[in-house]
Amino acid sequence: MGAQAWTWTVVAVVVLLLLAWTAWTLVRLRRLETRVARARETLESQLRRRAGLAEELAREHPAALGPLRARALAEAAAQARSTPRGDREAAENGLGRELRDLPADLPGVPASLQADLTGTSTRVALARRFYNDAVRDTQALRGRRLPRVLRLHAGRPVPRFFDIDDRLEALTASSVGEGAEGRP
Amino acid sequence: MRIGLVCPYRWDVPGGVQYHVRDLAETLRGLGHHVEVLTPAEREESLTDPWTTFAGRTVPVPYNGSMAGVQFGPVVAARVRRWLRDGRFDVVHVHEPATLSLSLLVCMLAGGPIVATFHAATTRSKVLAALGPVARPWLEKISGRIAVSDFSRRVQVEHLGGDAVIIPNGVHVDAFAEGPRLPAVPHDAPTIGFLGRYDEPRKGLPTLLEAMRTVVARHPGARLFVAGRGDAEQLDRLVGEELRPHVVLLGEISEADKAAFLRSVDIYCAPNLLGESFGVVLIEAMSAGAPTVASDLDAFARVLDGGAAGVLVPRGDSAALGTALSDLLADPDRRRELRARGAEVARSYDWPVLAQRILAVYETVATPGGGVTALADDDVPGVPPTGAAPRRSRWRGSAR
Repeated sequence: MGAQAWTWTVVAVVVLLLLAWTAWTLVRLRRLETRVARARETLESQLRRRAGLAEELAREHPAALGPLRARALAEAAAQARSTPRGDREAAENGLGRELRDLPADLPGVPASLQADLTGTSTRVALARRFYNDAVRDTQALRGRRLPRVLRLHAGRPVPRFFDIDDRLEALTASSVGEGAEGRP
Repeated sequence: MRIGLVCPYRWDVPGGVQYHVRDLAETLRGLGHHVEVLTPAEREESLTDPWTTFAGRTVPVPYNGSMAGVQFGPVVAARVRRWLRDGRFDVVHVHEPATLSLSLLVCMLAGGPIVATFHAATTRSKVLAALGPVARPWLEKISGRIAVSDFSRRVQVEHLGGDAVIIPNGVHVDAFAEGPRLPAVPHDAPTIGFLGRYDEPRKGLPTLLEAMRTVVARHPGARLFVAGRGDAEQLDRLVGEELRPHVVLLGEISEADKAAFLRSVDIYCAPNLLGESFGVVLIEAMSAGAPTVASDLDAFARVLDGGAAGVLVPRGDSAALGTALSDLLADPDRRRELRARGAEVARSYDWPVLAQRILAVYETVATPGGGVTALADDDVPGVPPTGAAPRRSRWRGSAR
């Protein structure tokens, strides 16, 4: 084989490898997209559930909360529910704060509702962490040089982290003094 | 819920991950869930429980000083597929998905919600660091990550990227809380217990022996019981003439005797100088109702609730340790208080409690109506690298 044939072979091999790699990366990106979408779905439904439970608490048991607190909780829940998807962090933070500030024992409030609320807050924290994890994996892959240069998945928005203060340390028993998120 | 657990280490040899998977499976089954375990073993017959499935043998490969089980190949892949298909799981929970392990193979072959628990918190992280990028495309499929300690979470964050929820190892609190005392440990004299390899300097026995001199000066009847493996002659020399009547070597003790031992002593002491990613033994001691005195390692401080559930002393400071031990021996009220607080803390590490937390993770990642499926060979678009999962495994299989 002459020099030219060699060159063509090398070029062909490189192109094939690049194609294979591109296809593989596209599979990964699609998989991550599904994961992000699913995680977001779970997060949204848990947040909706939390707002719903908070509303129920404020509506059904204003006496246990005190009228001031009940109104503030109802407002925070309504705010969290009505704010559009993209810009929810502040509203959810407000609701989270109201819920955290509730006194430990609420006379007259059924234990099942309280347990539901605590459980849902835990789920919110878990769902948020898993969602951010999926976002982080996606951003890491999309941020690499070749996917960027080849504009794989171009046109699709890069998913954003969802940042609220959900006191995850309590849930994870993570070390004292460390930030809520160990984001690299 | 239908849950599939994957243990990458041989079921028939003892090990932390195996015990973890076994205890988790039994606890979840007790809560009424359908749980199956896929695991390698030396022989299929050694898997006696009907809910365990044999995944084949592992090939031992030296791996940073210890032996790791490598398991790959078409036969294993076929077994994994069958297990996934027959199990119809809502969620698959793999443990320690290291490169070339059964757990990673399951990640490759399964479609749907996958949860992974990362146990490693040791020098293996070097290997993880080197091989992390190789496994990454499949680790990306994991939708919920759990680490058993802060330390293993850090390993996971630093080497593999991605965060993890911390759910610690569990303890069967009741097995430690109730039962007989160890006859060798007397009722009437003040007793202190030490557990672990006593000839390993990092376990801190020399510090404790030094502290015993202070203790003996204030409590002439006090005795230290040492349980664990090690060089007895060396220990004898270390103890010396003066302390000899106050130190009793019990040697290696069984799991049942360990619980009895912890129930019998007045104080359990963990003078460790370093290491210990997670203070399981402290939780066991608290479960058994032993007031604890421990060095102020991060892991210990966390388990002991910053000193509320046990006394923390500066590591390696034998004078402080001696004072703390003598004070506590002289103060039965404080011991009672620590015992009560310790029992409370230990409860939060009880398996049923932890299983609930793990279930919350399952429920968060599981999608209604969408369970785990086995990806067929030709299920994924016909691009080489996706097909490369099974194809490469075939190649590895023939190579060995």
